[in-house]
Amino acid sequence: MSLDSPPPAGPRVGSDEWVARQAHRREYLPSWLGSLERASERAGWWPKLAAAAAAAAVLPLFGLGQFQLQVGIDALVIALLAVGLNIVVGWAGLLDLGYVAFFGCGAYGYALVSSGQIGANGIHLPSYLSIPLVMAAVAGLGLLVGWPSRRLIGDYLAIITLFFGEAFVEFTNNVAPSVLGGPNGIVGVDAIRLFGYTFTTNKSYYYLLVIVLVVTMGVLRLLDTSRTGRAWRAVREDPLAAASMTIPVNRVKLMAFAFGAAVAALAGTLFAAQQISVFPTDFDTPILILVYAGLILGGAGSIAGACTGALVVMVVYDGLLRSPTESGYLFYGLILLTLLAKLRPWRRLALVLAATVALGYAIHAIAAAVSDSAVAGGPHSAGLIAGALRDWVVVPASATVAGNWGFVALVCLLVALVQVSSQWRTILLPPTLYLASFVWETRLAAEPAITRQLMIGAILIVMMNARPQGLFGSRRVEALT
Amino acid sequence: MAFFFQELVNGLTTGALYALVALGFSMVYGVLKLLNFAHGDLYMVGAYVGFFVIQWFGGATSLSIPVPLLLVIMFALAAGLVGGLGVAIERFAYRPLRDAPRIAPLITAIGISFFLESAALLLFGAQYRVYNTPDFINAHSGITIGSVTINSVQILVLVMGLILMVGLQQLVNWTKLGRQMRAVAADREAAEMLGVNVNFTIALTFFLGSALAGVAGVMAGLLFNQVTSTIGFIAGLKAFTAAVVGGIGSIPGAMLGGLLIGLAESFVTGYLSSTYSNLLVFGLLIAVMLVRPSGLLGQAQLQKV
Amino acid sequence: MSDPVLELDRLSLSFGGLRALSELDLGVGEREIVSLIGPNGAGKSTVFNVITGVYEPSSGDVRFAGRSIAGLAPHRVARLGIGRTFQSLRLFLNMSVIENVMAATYGNTKAMPWESVLRLPRARREEREVRALAEDVLSFFGQRLAGYRWEQPAYSLSYANRRRLEIARALATSPRLLLLDEPAAGMNPAETHEVTELISRLRDERGVSILVIEHDMHVVDSCSNRVVALDHGVKIAEGGFDRVAAHPAVVEAYLGKDPGALSDGG
Repeated sequence: MSLDSPPPAGPRVGSDEWVARQAHRREYLPSWLGSLERASERAGWWPKLAAAAAAAAVLPLFGLGQFQLQVGIDALVIALLAVGLNIVVGWAGLLDLGYVAFFGCGAYGYALVSSGQIGANGIHLPSYLSIPLVMAAVAGLGLLVGWPSRRLIGDYLAIITLFFGEAFVEFTNNVAPSVLGGPNGIVGVDAIRLFGYTFTTNKSYYYLLVIVLVVTMGVLRLLDTSRTGRAWRAVREDPLAAASMTIPVNRVKLMAFAFGAAVAALAGTLFAAQQISVFPTDFDTPILILVYAGLILGGAGSIAGACTGALVVMVVYDGLLRSPTESGYLFYGLILLTLLAKLRPWRRLALVLAATVALGYAIHAIAAAVSDSAVAGGPHSAGLIAGALRDWVVVPASATVAGNWGFVALVCLLVALVQVSSQWRTILLPPTLYLASFVWETRLAAEPAITRQLMIGAILIVMMNARPQGLFGSRRVEALT
Repeated sequence: MAFFFQELVNGLTTGALYALVALGFSMVYGVLKLLNFAHGDLYMVGAYVGFFVIQWFGGATSLSIPVPLLLVIMFALAAGLVGGLGVAIERFAYRPLRDAPRIAPLITAIGISFFLESAALLLFGAQYRVYNTPDFINAHSGITIGSVTINSVQILVLVMGLILMVGLQQLVNWTKLGRQMRAVAADREAAEMLGVNVNFTIALTFFLGSALAGVAGVMAGLLFNQVTSTIGFIAGLKAFTAAVVGGIGSIPGAMLGGLLIGLAESFVTGYLSSTYSNLLVFGLLIAVMLVRPSGLLGQAQLQKV
Repeated sequence: MSDPVLELDRLSLSFGGLRALSELDLGVGEREIVSLIGPNGAGKSTVFNVITGVYEPSSGDVRFAGRSIAGLAPHRVARLGIGRTFQSLRLFLNMSVIENVMAATYGNTKAMPWESVLRLPRARREEREVRALAEDVLSFFGQRLAGYRWEQPAYSLSYANRRRLEIARALATSPRLLLLDEPAAGMNPAETHEVTELISRLRDERGVSILVIEHDMHVVDSCSNRVVALDHGVKIAEGGFDRVAAHPAVVEAYLGKDPGALSDGG
């Protein structure tokens, strides 16, 4: 090891090629952003978690309204669920499609022991008793659900749990209506009361959820670096090898199941207390898909990824997609961002954009010349976007049928776009973009409730195909056997 | 006793329906080892195709073509369109993930299922679309044995179901195509090296499986009379159960499982209450998995090390 | 061979109608290195799988340190003190090198999850010990798996290093008996030589008994105390390397009925 000659760049004998390559490949953002990135890499996990918690704590000080606060609360609940689901899916590698039922069990469990539902005067357990009790009971239920599938491969587990989720909704809807309330659910659930403080306002629940989420993430992080966490990941990587390395595979899987269920139950208790009520529909498949979308978007296997992904999905889903203005910004913004990121070189980008603009004006002019009613509708977006698009996008007076056909054509075009060569893609892009705008203005913006579901489904499909490790996860390698 | 036989007939009819859906599901599982969660939604699309065919020819009360021709068009179009949709889904969403971790295509399948359901909601609306089958197929025609009636729609479903199942079984067992499908199911790489066109075989399997789901969708429309965007989910669940109970990847198993579930459901609804039928199906699934994890007709897989 | 660590007693295994192993007797003594040879498909890996509990024997018995372990679950067998490697590498690819090794101590540690989360004394002590064990085991391979590689993901390792990591991981289960499945497969001559030395060192320095499957006859020759040859699940020869290698049945199993016709080809 000589000190006087500088080490040559790149791989060399005696040093590790992988480290050298990774160090070389690692790119940082320019200027102060890069320094920030480096600093965050050097910092341990808990300063980052503390920073995120502090940011979440000061957020309500910027004068969030009740609506924004409610969106925040929902997002935090889903984030908690995603973090819990990450144990099962991300670490232990088990596909649990009944996860939301554990959430429901937690909520119903808390509602039953904190309301007038059972007995003449009802049961009103103190929160410091009811919450751990419900969590333990649901964890036990998790063991029970995992039990029949313990000898089986992952696919069967998926089916069993999917059914369990469905059975939960059926059960709460139909069985013992005097206790579970049937479709009318349970109302009048007690607020959470801890250390002499009763949580009643949305703001208090927001802070409670932030604390619970941060503590859960910390706990899971500590668990991840312990023997339990290593065993989970080992089982995910190779169950047979794990068993040969003294790891009791079935027990470890069941443990992951129970831990995931316990976190879901915790989320459920907070949800029930904050809503003051529980209904069967709160725990149906769409919520499950939402949690999965968050986990997948953020990156399964990473706690921070699961949390961030779920927050992003929920804020978009619950907050932005409700107003035509904001959802319009989001829609066109995402399209532009994707084009900027994917379309190289910039000349091609400019060409496509120019062609799209020209195409739009041409079509609008032709449509207006043919018939007045073809352009009578006007864009559905509001604000700046509406002004910009008024003479560009064609919106007929009665747009439903045209918009529906446009939607079908758009999906076909998008599928085609993925398959064709790059040259054809350039040619196909302008009509696709124009059609996307057309469909958005005629149908999607008018039906936000459906649009956001479409978006969640699309996230799952696109992310799995384009970036399975999620936005924040690191790429996994699969053994070729 | 008449009630028993009536329920038996009803159970067999819905069972044939489930068996068709389960068959496609099982075929796809066979070649790709993929639980195609979107399969139930293909069935839903098929049911809508049937509905729009009826609308196209003037609606149930004033059909412009004879009923047999209408039925042929409904089934053919549903099989073709839904089969094509299945192939497109495979090409677009599953093929890139063939060598990905096992969990990736499963999650994609869930995404597709959700996407199809939402798209149907967007395109066709939330309201129930009604076939009005009795307006063009006389509900009272059919065979009456004692006090048990098998109406013509039930006969249609049973006969078609039987023909399709037997036909598929023959196809898989006796044709070159079937041999290729079995080869791909057994070992994709080895099949590829031996000159089997794997992509084509998988696409064709998707086409056949999805077409069966589409046909089953039209049958469901004729039988239950109504369609909405959410019917696919429950049908899919029951098809999974049928496939798993019978032995996933096994064609006779899927038939047996479908019939079993149809019968169980029919008897529970008839003798107990319809609210428990779904819970019962779930219980049946758990019971079979505990006693015979590989299903009734499935073969236990040897763990390869 | 005074007191055998491992003893296979008339061990048979069939899959359906196929007889994979029949009436196999085999013993591995304390601090002994036994090589298992035989042509492909002879049932060598199957022997490993039966010993480690992946397959349950159809008849016969497996005794480890005097106790019957036939039919025991793999993780129990491993905890009793049988470590193994896999012919087709089965590392935890997306975990770091040191985590691969540390994960293998699961069965020999006891801290419950809450102890780990709260970092209670027992969890901290165990974590320290496990880390020390892992570092010790990895240091066994000298520069090959040296410190700077510990935090790398296992998939970034070269093929030879993956084989070494498999052995390190097996060592971390604190085995009395080590089953090595083709440790020199796919290695170049220098690395193969290194493996030979390594196997001897494993016995001398760590005191383990070793049953090794190997195709490379140089490795077999230079490290084993005893050689057992298998063909079609039947033991066809046993003894010193020279005797077994020259045994007519072994020659026939490898080269066919008329070896003279092939001997020119080398």
